[in-house]
Amino acid sequence: MVVCIIALVVFAILGIFSARYRKLAKEAFDCTFKKLTFKPCDTGLDTRIKAGITTKLMRWPKAAKFMHKNFNTITSILFIVMIISMTWSGYEAGKGVYNYAKFGNCNGPDSSAFCIFNIANAEKPRMGALYCNATDCTCITPEINCTIKGGNYTPCSGATCSCPK
Amino acid sequence: MALSVEKLRQDFPILQKKLSGKPLIYFDNACMTLKPALVVAAMNEYYENFPACVGRSAHKLSKLATEKYVEAREKVAKFIGAKPSEVIFTRNTTEGINLIANCLDFKAGDIVLTTDKEHNSNLLPWQQLKEKGILHKICHSKADGTFDLENFKKNLDKNVKLVSMVHTSNIDGTTIPAESIIELAHKNGSLALLDAAQSVPHKKIDVKKLDVDFLAFSGHKMCGPTGMGILYGKFDLLKKLKPFMVGGDTVKSTTYETAEFLLPPEKFEAGLQNYAGAIGLGAAAEYLQKIGLENIEKHEIELNKFITEEISKIPGLRILGPQNPELRGGIISFTINSLDIHYVAQLLDNMANIAVRSGQHCVHSWFNAHKIPGSVRVSLYFYNTKEEARIFIDTLKKICELR
Repeated sequence: MVVCIIALVVFAILGIFSARYRKLAKEAFDCTFKKLTFKPCDTGLDTRIKAGITTKLMRWPKAAKFMHKNFNTITSILFIVMIISMTWSGYEAGKGVYNYAKFGNCNGPDSSAFCIFNIANAEKPRMGALYCNATDCTCITPEINCTIKGGNYTPCSGATCSCPK
Repeated sequence: MALSVEKLRQDFPILQKKLSGKPLIYFDNACMTLKPALVVAAMNEYYENFPACVGRSAHKLSKLATEKYVEAREKVAKFIGAKPSEVIFTRNTTEGINLIANCLDFKAGDIVLTTDKEHNSNLLPWQQLKEKGILHKICHSKADGTFDLENFKKNLDKNVKLVSMVHTSNIDGTTIPAESIIELAHKNGSLALLDAAQSVPHKKIDVKKLDVDFLAFSGHKMCGPTGMGILYGKFDLLKKLKPFMVGGDTVKSTTYETAEFLLPPEKFEAGLQNYAGAIGLGAAAEYLQKIGLENIEKHEIELNKFITEEISKIPGLRILGPQNPELRGGIISFTINSLDIHYVAQLLDNMANIAVRSGQHCVHSWFNAHKIPGSVRVSLYFYNTKEEARIFIDTLKKICELR
């Protein structure tokens, strides 16, 4: 069960980037769902994961043996760490949203530290492609052939721009 | 004559390839064998050169297709010592057994006697007949997994209409004494059907010598294509059977009310058939005959002896069935204490590309009755080598060291 939950989280994240992992994520979901509804998980996913990890460690027999013998303990520890980490991340993110809503800065009042929510208004020069679409953008490396078209900045690959507030 | 294994391996394109940089070690032959290039070529020839209907049209392509199809039936008939008219093309062993279950004139109270190690394909058809009042009795094996002839005699009463038994078990490779069983069955007035899926590809079978009434086997376990099988039946018996699947190409003529059926085997082969598959199976039968079934059997037993001797030394490893490898043909089914069977199979595949089967091998009934969750099954064929066996043994030993 624990392996399936970990697999579900890991494969779901990897599945965003690669279709290969989406199938595995679905399998992990099926397995987790079955376990949660007190049905046996017959996909064999947990066995394949354990065998896959053990095979990689076979070059170091002691490590492979350790993994084989303590697989359930290791996955349980990983599961607890994952839950703690997710809880902590959730708490910190929530705190940031609250601070941003209340003080306009996710780090709380009187803080000038970096905040992801007001990144577009940051004063520091940034790579052009993402943030420089204001009409008053100035290319600081004009030789890279940055263009200003119709008042909107059209970024060129590799161009560095400064974006005055 | 000893087998020239290395030469024969050249016939199998997949054995020339590498998977993840390692050669394939294919030990799952009881499930499906690899296909030699000539079988694939024979099938391709049909699709490329004469992809026409058999026995229906008068044009050149149809004539050629008919010729090849007839030839294929003759090759398969020769392979088992039968007449072509006694060879029915089916999809697989399962279909062959189901054909008998549905066509034989069973009456309420008739008994079908099987062993306790039947594949689901020779169990479920008889379970289904229970609704019609036909009983299914099981003849239990001895403790070592071998056939109990005395127990069989006890079970054989006048109500036994059919003795339907697995010739070679796909769990442990044991072969039943078919000749004695058939003789006793006939003396009792019963018919005999053999599920020969695991015996026909591995040993010389002569249906006339066996005097068996019906015999079913599959093409995919004997280097042939998937979806092709054979049901052999004595011509006179087949003639009496009423086909359960009827349609195109099974009749001479019809009126709106009646039908005049063709003789066997045509009356059982309804609709357009798998011509390419039949041609491929014919090529496979001919190929195996050239190699020699006696040579194949001998080679498998030799490898089995070698593997059995080595893996028997592993503590906690238990081989299912008789411990004597000569009684197990090319099959070694085993469990290992403290190691999950599927995990072992997965590790063998991951570590050395060794393909084995793990589970209950479609014989759930036997495993459930013996409270064994399943086994790892190594099943050999003529293209397997001693070197492959050595790699398997070494890999298995490494896996067992994990405990």
